[in-house]
Amino acid sequence: MRYLKTSEAAALLNVSPNTLRAWERRFGYPKPQRSPGKHRLYTHGEIAALKDALQEGLSISSAVSRAREGLSADSDTLIGALSSFDHVRADSAMEAALALRSLERSVEEILLPSLADLEEKFGPDSARWAFSARWASDWLKRAQRLTPPPVRHVSLLIGDASRDELDSDAPAIRALELLCARAGARLLCLSVRGVSGLNDALAIVEPDAVVLAGAHARDDEVARWAYAVRSAAGALPVCLYRREVLRPLRSRTTGAAHLSSAPSEAQSQILELVEAQGVSMRESAPTRLVPRETRAG
Amino acid sequence: MSMDAHGQSLRVLPQDRSDQPLKTFCGHCGRTPAPDADPASRVCGKCGLGLLLQAPADAAPDPSDPFLVVDGALNICALSRHAEKLLDVSETEAVNRHVAEFLVPADAESAAGESLATLLAWAARGESPSAQVVIRPSNTFGVRYWARIGPCGPPSAALLVLADAR
Repeated sequence: MRYLKTSEAAALLNVSPNTLRAWERRFGYPKPQRSPGKHRLYTHGEIAALKDALQEGLSISSAVSRAREGLSADSDTLIGALSSFDHVRADSAMEAALALRSLERSVEEILLPSLADLEEKFGPDSARWAFSARWASDWLKRAQRLTPPPVRHVSLLIGDASRDELDSDAPAIRALELLCARAGARLLCLSVRGVSGLNDALAIVEPDAVVLAGAHARDDEVARWAYAVRSAAGALPVCLYRREVLRPLRSRTTGAAHLSSAPSEAQSQILELVEAQGVSMRESAPTRLVPRETRAG
Repeated sequence: MSMDAHGQSLRVLPQDRSDQPLKTFCGHCGRTPAPDADPASRVCGKCGLGLLLQAPADAAPDPSDPFLVVDGALNICALSRHAEKLLDVSETEAVNRHVAEFLVPADAESAAGESLATLLAWAARGESPSAQVVIRPSNTFGVRYWARIGPCGPPSAALLVLADAR
């Protein structure tokens, strides 16, 4: 994936950087990502698509509309591939999407909307949904395996409250895992049904925050798991992802943060929350097993 | 409209006005580009929100004129900022919608023999019927505008410049 700075993107389009920022405000396009230093980064594919559309357009609006149409073709291809049980074509559709967008945007703008469309069209008990959910889970796990090792010194525990792989929340939770890992966080994702031996896991991971994700598990199941986490690791910031009702836990915390349902926004919210708590300066992985008291001394 | 010797009706044909001097203007603010503007850029250097278009000088809008650019399928491709205010719709909302969703002929006052759709289609093909028609907002009665129709581009499209007809 090739990225362009604002000045480079503006030069390619033959406009000023201010004009590019004005288009972002007015048309929501091109939509840049942010570098670690909060600078805008544009994907080359998006700028190239807009450049072509501007040559043939009568207004910026129509050019933006045309560029967006070109980019949405990947979503149609993915839906078509998954509807016809063709995982090779589905992989190719995501490859095409990645040629024009970052992985984060490919997941958020192509993969997850396509899955939502398929679930709505065929139903969660259909063979097509089963195939699509399975493929998406595999694809997201493959992408996560390619993620570089953690660099941020932030550790997260995700309590997976989804039913199984076919739960409609499952792909979004896998996407959140992937995006958090790509943001440099160290992750451990555990089902909220597994309480036994949680102490051992927490001693190794030392989470900075807990994310409760998914709406399927009952509140009392989740509360039991959250209680076990709290007993072992103390009071940690708690975030709710795609989970609305959690009365027992809510009463025990000073306020669990509700995350956006969009994985990239949720990931940013989690990291901001952790950084705001001032727990992001821990040592890197090899020294994590050393007790906190020893390190403090 | 009249009848020829064979009893067939005669129709006004659009004139080829390729000899008309062309004026360059911004499809959003209507202003002409600065003389030192980069000739390679199609984007208006003054407002940054419109593409530079050309139209015959007598059809091109003044900066204060509300105007629309319509393609051959009569879908809106551009809306000037004054037209956005006049029609109470943003360009992003109006683009790719049929012009009849916003403007319809006020037939009783129409001076031209051809319909608004025909005139726009001619203009979008690069032919100017050099006509003015009276139109009104599609959801409003009692408000009328003179519309000056001409070709513009590139690519080839119809330009509809509005003026108060009261």
